[in-house]
Amino acid sequence: MSPKEYKYTREHEWFGPEPENTGKTGLTKYAENQLGDIVFLDLPAPGTQVQQFEKMGEIESVKAVTDLFAPASGKVVEINTKAVDSPNLVNEDPYGAGWLVKLELSKPSELDALMSSDAYDKYVESLSQESSQ
Amino acid sequence: MHLFKKTPLNKVHRDLKARMTDFAGWELPLWFTSILEEHNAVRSRAGMFDVSHMSRVWVSGKKASQFLDKVLTRSVCRLEIGSSQLCLMCMEDGGILDDLWVYHVGVDEYLLVWNAGDIKQKLNWLFRWSESNPDVSIKNTTDDTAMVAVQGPAVCQLVSVKALCNLSRFGHTRAKIDKSEVFGARTGYTGEDGFELVSSTADASPLWWVLMDEGVKPCGLGARNVLRLEAGMMLSGQDFDTSTNPFEADLAWLVDFDERDFVGKRSLLEIRRQGVERKIVGFKVKGREIARSGYSIYKSGQEVGKVTSGGYAPALGVNIGMGYVPIELSSIGTGIDILIRGKMVSAQIVNRRFYEKGG
Repeated sequence: MSPKEYKYTREHEWFGPEPENTGKTGLTKYAENQLGDIVFLDLPAPGTQVQQFEKMGEIESVKAVTDLFAPASGKVVEINTKAVDSPNLVNEDPYGAGWLVKLELSKPSELDALMSSDAYDKYVESLSQESSQ
Repeated sequence: MHLFKKTPLNKVHRDLKARMTDFAGWELPLWFTSILEEHNAVRSRAGMFDVSHMSRVWVSGKKASQFLDKVLTRSVCRLEIGSSQLCLMCMEDGGILDDLWVYHVGVDEYLLVWNAGDIKQKLNWLFRWSESNPDVSIKNTTDDTAMVAVQGPAVCQLVSVKALCNLSRFGHTRAKIDKSEVFGARTGYTGEDGFELVSSTADASPLWWVLMDEGVKPCGLGARNVLRLEAGMMLSGQDFDTSTNPFEADLAWLVDFDERDFVGKRSLLEIRRQGVERKIVGFKVKGREIARSGYSIYKSGQEVGKVTSGGYAPALGVNIGMGYVPIELSSIGTGIDILIRGKMVSAQIVNRRFYEKGG
């Protein structure tokens, strides 16, 4: 079950709103589980402007590499250097200590395009049904 | 819709909630818990792999050795009963059809084991060269048996495989493990000590559980790939194929240019005389990006080759890989660049045996 207070993308990023139109983003449990052991995070430098649903970084696991997309437009204000040093934090605690990027949103209304945790859980369930067929 | 072949251990893997993947037409575990944990189990204690997808073909009959001497790059005439050797099957033009293990099991009786790939192609090749000789029998037992590899420095502390611990390297014997009859060999694909066990399909699950009860960790293909890459072992179809000759693939040590004639010999002698223009090398990436299969290798801004295998090497804490470069760039210490998703990352050519047991 994904945290209720977060919003979610179809590409399996979460966004956790914080005061003053900021918030953290990271990978969901489902994404972490699909990737397996994460060994490298290529995150955008603080100050970078990102666009909603556009690529802002890369996540590399032993098995595969995947793009990290911005859940909303804005400016990167901080990246999780602990996770950069120990990428396995993303596997261990994807919704907490394994957060990736903190954003300052330029268009907070964009968050309306994201899924609630209920909708996201249903979405993930539909994906796992597809793959088990 | 694809229908993947299932091994006799498929249900066991599902009960253990393995992440499954498709490999060469087979449905196999990619990992059970984590590639890194499974890699660590094999490097530090013991892990096991379902390798039932590897092809097992018996060649027997009065002319079996004569036949194998015709299709394989190393003669079986000096291979004693109870021993085994790695060798190649080459095409007439010297291209590598595949690598395989040959086990001399009894008088006029050999077991051939390939690392998956297209078994029909290999069988057709054998049938073609045996020319229906009544003194050569070729029998594919891949679907009637299972195969489990138990690998790691602590394998000989396991009670269940005690009977195999007197085997020398590459040696093999029939033995009993718990209640299961197995053909066991001291071979593997991880760079560690260990055994490969062939059993009946019915004995596969009991064998697996006996080993698990002794603390052997179930491992998937993800860990297997990392382990073999660290040990500098090549994967057929990925690190070499029919468009590669043994000199380019650094496998000429598997070719005996003795008095006998074998398929591809004439071309291989000619290639040896002329020399090759490219060669497989190992490299270490100076950065945290992983150079994966298919990425391009550059030197001074010019594309000079391709990565064939690459990944994170947990035993070394760096990213490593293999690929082909022009012969003049193949010496150890040479700097190269690899284009990793739009970014040039520098790398250095190193000894391809990245990891040495106990090293």
